[in-house]
Amino acid sequence: MKKLNILLLLLLIIFSLISLFPIYWTIITALKVNSEIFTTVPIFFPVKITLSNFYTPGQTFGAVSQTAFGSFPWLLNSAVIALLSALIGTFLIGAPAAYALTRYLKNVWLGRTVLLMMMIPEAALIIPFYIIIIKVNLINTWWGLTLVYLSFTAPLSTWLLMGFFSDLPRSVEEAASIDGLSAYKIFYKIAMPMIMPGIMVSIILNFINSWNEFLYALVLTYTPFPTGAQTVPLFLSDFIVIEKSFAWGGLAAAGVIVIIPTIIIGIYAQKYLVKGWTMGAVKE
Amino acid sequence: MNRKQATKIGLILASPLLIYFLIFFIYPIFLLFRYAFTNTAGSFSLSNFVYMSKDPILYSSLYNTLYYFIGSVAVQFSGGFLAAIVLNSYTGRLKNTFRMILYIPLTISPIVIALIWLLIFNPTYGPIDYILRTPINWLGSLNLAMPTIIVANGWEYIPFVFLIIYAGLQAVPKQYYEAASIDGMNRLQTFRYITMPSITPILVVAFLLNSIGILQGFTLVYVLTNGGPGFSTYILSFYIYKVAFAYFNLHYAAALSLLFIFIIGAFVYAMLKLTSVERYLGLKRENAGDE
Amino acid sequence: MSEVVIENLTKKFGNNLVLDHINLKIDSREFFVLLGPSGSGKSTLLRLIAGLEDITDGSIYIGGKKVNGVQPKDRDVAMVFQNYALYPHFSVYDNIALPLKVRGFSKDKIAQRVKEISGILHIEELLEKKPRQLSGGQQQRVALARALVRNPSIFLLDEPLSNLDAKLRVEARTFLKSLQKELGVTTIFVTHDQSEAMAMATKIAVLNRGTIKQVADPYELYMKPSDTFTAGFVGSPAMNMVPGKIVKDGNAWKFAAADMALDLKGMKFDSEAEVIMGVRPEHVVISTEGITGIISTVEPLGSVTYLEVKIGGTDIMVQYTGLARIEPNSQVKIGFALDRLLFYDKDTEKLLNK
Repeated sequence: MKKLNILLLLLLIIFSLISLFPIYWTIITALKVNSEIFTTVPIFFPVKITLSNFYTPGQTFGAVSQTAFGSFPWLLNSAVIALLSALIGTFLIGAPAAYALTRYLKNVWLGRTVLLMMMIPEAALIIPFYIIIIKVNLINTWWGLTLVYLSFTAPLSTWLLMGFFSDLPRSVEEAASIDGLSAYKIFYKIAMPMIMPGIMVSIILNFINSWNEFLYALVLTYTPFPTGAQTVPLFLSDFIVIEKSFAWGGLAAAGVIVIIPTIIIGIYAQKYLVKGWTMGAVKE
Repeated sequence: MNRKQATKIGLILASPLLIYFLIFFIYPIFLLFRYAFTNTAGSFSLSNFVYMSKDPILYSSLYNTLYYFIGSVAVQFSGGFLAAIVLNSYTGRLKNTFRMILYIPLTISPIVIALIWLLIFNPTYGPIDYILRTPINWLGSLNLAMPTIIVANGWEYIPFVFLIIYAGLQAVPKQYYEAASIDGMNRLQTFRYITMPSITPILVVAFLLNSIGILQGFTLVYVLTNGGPGFSTYILSFYIYKVAFAYFNLHYAAALSLLFIFIIGAFVYAMLKLTSVERYLGLKRENAGDE
Repeated sequence: MSEVVIENLTKKFGNNLVLDHINLKIDSREFFVLLGPSGSGKSTLLRLIAGLEDITDGSIYIGGKKVNGVQPKDRDVAMVFQNYALYPHFSVYDNIALPLKVRGFSKDKIAQRVKEISGILHIEELLEKKPRQLSGGQQQRVALARALVRNPSIFLLDEPLSNLDAKLRVEARTFLKSLQKELGVTTIFVTHDQSEAMAMATKIAVLNRGTIKQVADPYELYMKPSDTFTAGFVGSPAMNMVPGKIVKDGNAWKFAAADMALDLKGMKFDSEAEVIMGVRPEHVVISTEGITGIISTVEPLGSVTYLEVKIGGTDIMVQYTGLARIEPNSQVKIGFALDRLLFYDKDTEKLLNK
């Protein structure tokens, strides 16, 4: 019994190393000086630590700094678009629709429709989205990308929140209807506040998915802030294409900057994230 | 409140979603049909589908997609299952910490995954080749490029399968195990007769969600190999992108998109027919007797 | 003027008939209990009165006005739910104030009413708390306060005591009963617990499988249950039921069963019949003469002792007043209080000797 547990612990440590090593490697590459990056015998524990990969005045990447610091205009776009699509997807579309589907429109086809929206791959819709966004003249704008990102945030929110709403005891809403609240007031004054954890799950998951999205941003945006809406994954991909063999330190530093927000959320919002990811699969 | 009123309130609340659905799903699919069944001159034509039937790149893309799909499912399910069983069986402190460490890759942007694996798989300076003591051109080799992408992608999505199965294992009531131990079942029997039947619904749902996630794959191919070497890592999503935005043939790309949607649709339909996944997802509910 | 009249009320869920042509009249100021086992339709009936479900057929009148299709909020009813259904994100004060707020009462008026009602229910010191900080008994009082704060003409309660522990439940019974009397509000109370119904009601309607079996005050319901279902459902331990025959022997009537025969002195029947005889445990006495049986189990409860007496193949529950050391397997003789015997027709299950 005890022996088995030690074996399990050992396995868990190995899994943890597999999970963390690539991240560790990126972080130390970002902190290394070039002479310690390009070595035939890799340096696992760097001696000299530098922040120059994050910021060195004068070095350029395209028109901006070659170091990670130059990613700021892209970061700003990412933050705005991820927030907009997370909040609109949750509050304006997902929550009311989920409430309607659990309480008023009990048609199995509506649920299937939401599932279908989640299942169609991005690549299959990128062409019509491109055509539509060009047509309405929103190419390379915050609103253009936000509208398209709603195609995954809205159905995911609806799906997640349906689970939360259907777990609510109906009697509280019935009490409210006897107390004299209208159906819409019951929705936003009674039911919504009761699923606050679900709202959090929805916002966080939407934010991460939007922050990490690549294909739509690649096609629908092409310049950084302030002239356009290009997001930070695009900064990174251009950086990779140009600097693949050279500025590894700067690349790694940029990578670190991109993953910092989501990793912090990953650590601090453990409860919400796990619930979000496993929802729909695991019914308690 | 009668049915009519209820339906009205429901439709009003759901209207943002329904409007969005019309503009960003129904209309796009209509556009796909319009583009797929016309030529560049704008008149009705089946030429895209005729070309599709004899397009060698499409065939190799389909083959690669299948390869990538099966490989990914195998890697992600075996990895996720193993990790979930190990963490679930482990009886010590820090269980939640281990769970967190194991899911962290899931929060990371695919573009950064690409970057990380570029650094790690580099034949000259990467730590993997150093540990293996031979420089291997992982992404430049016809035979290794796809497995490398599958592994890199697996590193990110094994945690997803792990989390779902782990949650499923945790949700099995303890009394079942207590009853099994009183009944004298050994570990293997307990796993066979208690654990597996309890988590079957979760495995089916995990498979569905995970499959869809895998088919979304694009970024790693785009950044790591750009489809190469040769066409060895062309997968359907990447090919659609290439046709539309590198060869600028939106019509043929639309036809390919329809093919992609059709394949996914057939897959999901098969899942619905062959498994009780809808019931597991809570889409179909048994009508509970209401007093 | 706030009586409730229910006419030919039918409710179906899909093809499932839940209530079948219900007719009821609930008088003003009455404490009316809907009593029945689970699945009897009693909660559905309450929810139909509240307006939470649609009527399939028939009508409901509240205070003389037909309320079919009227929204719950416009029916002037208040309801307390089994799980209390307090708004978890509001304070106790806001929970109680909400029904007044949405009806446009002024801030001062609301504060005054909340203060009044929380005084009556002894929850003044809880007003700042959130529902999850309260005990079950406190939550129940808050739910009562929220329901009563706007002086509803009808007060509906759906098994409000079933989530309380046994001791608190008995206290709450007494409290609710006196509160109802004090406020004089027409009250409809749903429960599956017959002792709760007996303790509180001025009138009880017994439901089973969507139909009303009997409407009566507690005394009559207990003494003269009109059919076998009510007879078996009301009273604990349940009434003894002995199948047998009523036969005429000269001028006298007799009850003849497999294991016993009784002379029914002074009773009259229309004809001989197959019957079920019902007799409550307290109407069976241990005596020096009578039918001989063997005691199979003894349940000493303190104030009374229940004895199960085996007479051939028939088990008779006997209530013995007081606590006695009685050994199982000993022989006893039992007699029946003849004026308390109830006879039900075997086929119609209706009471014959009214």
